[in-house]
Amino acid sequence: MGLWKDIKNLFVGMRITSKHLGRRAITIQYPEEKWTMPERSRGIVVLLSDKETGELNCTACMLCMKACPTGAIRIVAPRDEATKKRDLKSFDLDFGLCCFCGLCEEACNFSALKMAAKYEFSTINKDDLTWDVKKLQEIGRDVDYVDTRKKKAEPKPAVKPAVTDTPVATAPAPAAQSEQKGETS
Amino acid sequence: MSPILASGELILVFRWLHEKLVSTGLSPLWVELITYTVLAVGMFALLAVIALFLVWWERKISAHIQQRFGPMRVGWHGWYQTIMDAIKLLQKEDVRVDTRDRGVFFWAPVICFVAAFAAYVVIPFGDGLIVADLNIGILYVMAVTTFTIISLLMAGWGSNNKYALLGGMRSAAQVVSYEVPMILSILTVVLFAGSLSMGQIVASQQGHGIFNWFIFRVPFGPLAFITYLITATAESNRTPFDIPEAEQELVAGYNVEYSGMKFAMFFLAEFVNMFTVSAIATTLFLGGWNGPFMPSWIWFLLKTLGVVFILMIFRWTFPRLRVDQLMEFAWKFLVPLTFANLILAAWMKYAKWYW
Repeated sequence: MGLWKDIKNLFVGMRITSKHLGRRAITIQYPEEKWTMPERSRGIVVLLSDKETGELNCTACMLCMKACPTGAIRIVAPRDEATKKRDLKSFDLDFGLCCFCGLCEEACNFSALKMAAKYEFSTINKDDLTWDVKKLQEIGRDVDYVDTRKKKAEPKPAVKPAVTDTPVATAPAPAAQSEQKGETS
Repeated sequence: MSPILASGELILVFRWLHEKLVSTGLSPLWVELITYTVLAVGMFALLAVIALFLVWWERKISAHIQQRFGPMRVGWHGWYQTIMDAIKLLQKEDVRVDTRDRGVFFWAPVICFVAAFAAYVVIPFGDGLIVADLNIGILYVMAVTTFTIISLLMAGWGSNNKYALLGGMRSAAQVVSYEVPMILSILTVVLFAGSLSMGQIVASQQGHGIFNWFIFRVPFGPLAFITYLITATAESNRTPFDIPEAEQELVAGYNVEYSGMKFAMFFLAEFVNMFTVSAIATTLFLGGWNGPFMPSWIWFLLKTLGVVFILMIFRWTFPRLRVDQLMEFAWKFLVPLTFANLILAAWMKYAKWYW
């Protein structure tokens, strides 16, 4: 009896492989077709610009530089003694050092920086991995983001009940956005 | 005129060329030399194309079974990928081990290649498309393809490498064992065809639609076909029986130390061998080139590629047998089975219980 069962199993196996032969391949032919990345995936760090003016959102507070565990971000921004504001001279990001942890994005209070769902930055020269302000701004032009800059001006208690547990307050975003829309219209 | 030419079973172009050369008044020796050279080159080209196609096809089938695409980059669905691979192998350095056995190492791939190609002298590709319809056709095929064992053993010995030698020894043991049930299942067909000639075997399967094919001659026909298919898989060293080149155990088997074109010769010979066993299966069991509506050579190719397809599905479905299981299967199961089958067929032939 064992023999017949074994012979039957041979045909079962062949039926399975034949069935798979007729199926579509799941391979994605990379340069021609690309996977649409999930919205929240951590890819290239981009610098975000204001939606109306096109200016950089960055205020050169240097929080991202301090948060970066690998020191991939290098900001040069001397303080103007008269206005007490920092002037962003250069913002270099070395993707050769970046570990894509996302801490810079969390540290940023001004919606100036985001990890976009982009990942194609390979080069044949490792020096090209260091991107300057212009390049980072250019690639961030079409990246959609929620502007949370006006958050500071809003009264904080209004949003606190919604996020009691999470210390990193991302929840007030919708409220702030609606406020902003109301202002612009 | 040679006796082979007089048999009138030659490829038409070959016969036409022969007559042309005779009419120019060359000496018979030169006429023979030129025509046979042209024919040999033609067959070589045809088989090289077939082997390259089979490599590509195998890669495609294996890929699609695993839901991949396989070669896709060069040409439509990578159709000339294998041609590029062959060109790459031609350009490669021919690495030779210092401790090799010089003569043996050099001649092993050559013998493997020649043994694989020599079988095509008697394979009937279509109605009259046969190089020479020898009266010992199938015996000749068995004798010539067995040279492959010697070449694998030579490759294993000549490489002076323990893995290669193990692969060679295993392959010799395996192929010799499976030769016995293979010949026994072929003998069943020969018994009923009443001839060893490939042309005669095909001719004896004509008529009655497909029911005169040996595979449909119940009960010995199907049984002989199945045992032949199993042994053919073992003969061509393909996966359920691929212990000569078991990657996990032997790195690559007998061809570890080979590189460049020598490796390509082993590789192509393997695929030519696969086509050979399929062509023999077609000729012996599936009615050869017989078939309605289409030219005979199309029928032959269709049937042969069908058998090749089955062998490929085998390869990408079944796991490898262990060495001792392999030997047990051959000697304790296949040999008695085919022997009983042969005796049954002989008895039926004697009692005239067949059509």
